Amino acid sequence: MTPLDTLPVWLMLPVGLLLVLGSTLTLLGAFGLLNLRSFYDRIHAPTLGTSWGTAAILLASILSYSWLQDRLILHELVAGIFVMLTTPVTLMLLGQAALHRDRAEGDSTVPTPRAPVTEKPVTQKPN
Amino acid sequence: MIQENLLLTLALLPFVAALATTTLSAQAHGAAAWVSGLLLAAGLAILGILHGPIAAGQVLHSTIRWVPSLGLNLTFRIDAFVWLFVTLVLGIAILVLIYARYYLSKNDPVPRFYAFLMLFTGAMMGMLLSGNILMLVVFWELTSILSFLLIGYWHQGQAARDGARMALIVTGLGGLCLLVAMLLLGKIVGSYDLDRVLDSGDLVRNHPLYPAVLTLFLLGCFTKSAQMPFHFWLPGAMAAPTPVSAFLHSATMVKAGVFLLVRFSPVLGQTEMWFFAVTGTGMATLLLGALIALFRHDLKGLLAYSTISHLGLITALAGIGSSGAILAAIFHIVNHAIFKASLFMAAGIIDHETGTRDMRRLSGLMRFMPVTGSLAIVASASMAGVPLLNGFLSKEMFFAEAADWHNGTWLDNSLPWIATLAGVFAVAYSLRFIATVFFGPPPVDLPHQPHEPPAWMRRPVEALVLLCLIVGMLPGLTLGPTLNQAAQAILGPDLPYKNIAIWHGVNLPLIMSLVALAGGVALYALFGTRIAAGPEGPPLMHHFRAQKLFERLILLLTWKWPRSLYQFIGTERLQPQLRLVVLVALTVATVTLWGVLHPAAEALSTPLNPAFAAMWLVGGSCAVGAAWMAKYHRFAALVLLGGAGAVTCLTFAWLSAPDLAVTQLLVEIVTTALLLLGLRWLPKRREEIAEDKLRPARVRRARDLLLALIAGVGLATLAFVMMTYPLVPSVGDWFLRNAYKEGGGTNVVNVILVDFRAFDTFGEITVLAVVAVTVYALLRRFRPDPESLALPEPQDAVAQKSLAETLLVPAVIMRWMFPVLLVLAAYLFFRGHDLPGGGFSAGVTLSIAFLLQYLAHDVRWVEARLTVLPIRWIGIGLLISGLTGVGAFVLGYPFLTAHAQYVELPLVGQVPAATALLFDTGVFALVVGATVLMLIAIAHQSLRMARLRERDAPQPEKEAA
Repeated sequence: MTPLDTLPVWLMLPVGLLLVLGSTLTLLGAFGLLNLRSFYDRIHAPTLGTSWGTAAILLASILSYSWLQDRLILHELVAGIFVMLTTPVTLMLLGQAALHRDRAEGDSTVPTPRAPVTEKPVTQKPN
Repeated sequence: MIQENLLLTLALLPFVAALATTTLSAQAHGAAAWVSGLLLAAGLAILGILHGPIAAGQVLHSTIRWVPSLGLNLTFRIDAFVWLFVTLVLGIAILVLIYARYYLSKNDPVPRFYAFLMLFTGAMMGMLLSGNILMLVVFWELTSILSFLLIGYWHQGQAARDGARMALIVTGLGGLCLLVAMLLLGKIVGSYDLDRVLDSGDLVRNHPLYPAVLTLFLLGCFTKSAQMPFHFWLPGAMAAPTPVSAFLHSATMVKAGVFLLVRFSPVLGQTEMWFFAVTGTGMATLLLGALIALFRHDLKGLLAYSTISHLGLITALAGIGSSGAILAAIFHIVNHAIFKASLFMAAGIIDHETGTRDMRRLSGLMRFMPVTGSLAIVASASMAGVPLLNGFLSKEMFFAEAADWHNGTWLDNSLPWIATLAGVFAVAYSLRFIATVFFGPPPVDLPHQPHEPPAWMRRPVEALVLLCLIVGMLPGLTLGPTLNQAAQAILGPDLPYKNIAIWHGVNLPLIMSLVALAGGVALYALFGTRIAAGPEGPPLMHHFRAQKLFERLILLLTWKWPRSLYQFIGTERLQPQLRLVVLVALTVATVTLWGVLHPAAEALSTPLNPAFAAMWLVGGSCAVGAAWMAKYHRFAALVLLGGAGAVTCLTFAWLSAPDLAVTQLLVEIVTTALLLLGLRWLPKRREEIAEDKLRPARVRRARDLLLALIAGVGLATLAFVMMTYPLVPSVGDWFLRNAYKEGGGTNVVNVILVDFRAFDTFGEITVLAVVAVTVYALLRRFRPDPESLALPEPQDAVAQKSLAETLLVPAVIMRWMFPVLLVLAAYLFFRGHDLPGGGFSAGVTLSIAFLLQYLAHDVRWVEARLTVLPIRWIGIGLLISGLTGVGAFVLGYPFLTAHAQYVELPLVGQVPAATALLFDTGVFALVVGATVLMLIAIAHQSLRMARLRERDAPQPEKEAA
């Protein structure tokens, strides 16, 4: 018997639902990462897991542990905030790097840079 | 009691003087001389007080219990012989100080000279006063080292450096031999106490190890006293300033060897082996030294070889070992010190006032410096052994001993002949010194116009020459009793009193003296001019230079052979080195574990959790992938390595080692970032290297793979076997039980680190500091490969502006993370004693915070806003940890004893306040400093390259900006 077995049914239901939702979303994200075609499509897939996937699991954790320890537990919120803050940055960097690389390689399918930025011609440095 | 304290004070005085002179300013010649002179004079006063009991035949002892638990004591002892010797050293030291005050130029740094000179005096006195033969060797070696420093005082000159090095090597090697001899001697006797060793003569002489002890002991003494064939360092040492030569290389240091010979002659002597080795070497040195001295053109060179020759005389006397010979040896030690010190000083004056020491250029100086000239004439007459001077007396005693019958061997029979012949040469070179320098036509074309030196520069010479005269005319009244007491201290109290008189009637020694005088004068009269015109050395022998041979040998031993050995076994490439390291580790592990390692009879096991297995599958694939990609795609390899690290970290967490998990995570982050920064400086690998596809490359790779597989499988097996063994009671149980009770913390890992094993941690953080500084030093001198000098391709293609644009949002977020990480670091730090965390994790976290800022912005941006002084962090961290440890001393506990208690803080409540927390603060600061230092070293590398590029090609950069 684990401590989780002491949860009442009315609480167990939402916790279970949230867990299933979160893990399903994460699994879908992982599946998408594996199956989607281009890099730009792929970096969208894991966001399923890092947004509602994470959030649902964290909510489940808040609910169950607050009940188990008889007090309000909000540590998970901090984890959520940091995941929300840092994941987009990572994805932005990845996307920009990919875009930059594709442009440098002369891939015509990626959008060209915006007009005001004058792109320096790609030349090798003399040294 | 008071005598004991006086003895200790005496031994300590020169060291106090050395300490005092180091604090003086670089120009304070007068002050330095006064301070050291007065302290040494106090030493003479102490000797005066001690004279009473010592003259009565007492031996005074004084012991400091140094490390009582190991039975290590510092024992000082003084008897009449030592008393005489110490008085001699102190007296001459004071005269040399006065002389040096006027000899050194205003620009010579004062503290170094006087401090070294005083340290040397202290070492010499320590050697003389030691009551323990090992302590004696320590002081003996100290004199060698200080002599090196003093000879190299004018280290700008090549000659000084060479001379100093040669003296150090020769006397240092001799010192090593002496150390082994003393260890053997101590083992034979069963004690290192000098008194007991001196009492065990028969035991030592009958021991089978006696020849070995004797050989090693004599090597030590002969190198120090410049006996043939180890004499060559002494002329080289003449590059030292003249006060140093006068003090070390005539009166004191070189006398240390003969001191030991005389001191130990009752223990090791009285055998045929001793007689042949010591007397034979001494006579050879006496004769050859005198011969070479005659042919030297350099004033100090002549005096150096004369010193060698006189040391040979004393050695020969110690080898004869009869009571008369020992008395004569002591007497000659004193006499030689007196006249040779004065001669060196006179030579220094001549050098100082004329600018040259070449006897072929000097002549007729009597006109310009009559007083100095007269003094030098008296002193060198004493050196030659002219009657009514002190040198005559001891030489006469030597002749008497040489002529006496001792054991009837061929060496004993030839002694009088060799002695007389050496006497002839001694008279000849003394005469040459006087005749060429002070008489003859006035000198031409000297660097300076010669004149008398300052009066106080001459005073020491005057005092010494006065001593020559007084001792020479009234030996029985002045030195007679002291010498007899000294001889009694060596040979035993029932030695009959021997009267020292000038006139013994017409006997064999007197005739030998007269023959030597006449022969010397005749020799110089006949060959004087030819010697001056000839080469610097006796006929035929001047081609053969011991110094040159020595240099060649040293070159061979320290450069050529090691180089060829290195070329044979060494490699400069990393890959073979790594291969060797792995191979060695493999061999050692196989040899130690072969046949020992068995799987446990009842192996422990845990049911396999599928999730854990999946995680490990991922981790393992990452590791294999990293190895696979490492050759051409380092970046990908690094990413995969990070994956493997993450799995390791999760494993720790899974297996209930949160502390390890936290540490692993943080270390993983920093390592990856630093490696990433380092990657930029590796030259690019392209797949189209033709050689990579050839057979040798394939064979090499297959071999490396095999090696890696063996090592990896071996390690895995080892770990598996160890982990499946049933648990045995170990020190870990004790830690678990006592962490809270003794260390006041519930986080056992942290309590072990900062309390139970704090000393280990202290050592580790010191190593970390050293490593950080080393990395920094290496990177500062790092010059990258030319092909990685250019901007890397991805950076090259992007314009600076669009990079800044790209990083705009991430940079802001990273900046936000800075305070968050600071809080996290503080959190990890404060909870460390009771929960996972601690100084190390907190330190790494803080450095990640800095690292993030360096990544988000460029170096210049960060450093304009945020100044980290890593070296100070490191230093302060070490200080805090060290001081916390030292704090335990104050309360009477051993180093690094921790104290834990809880403190009630307002608002916050109970807070654990172990002193271990303070120690942890030190760890924290040091880790931050070390990590940031390496980070900055790499970051600045890029900055420097950028500056170089800007300097070389300013136009494109400007356009880009």
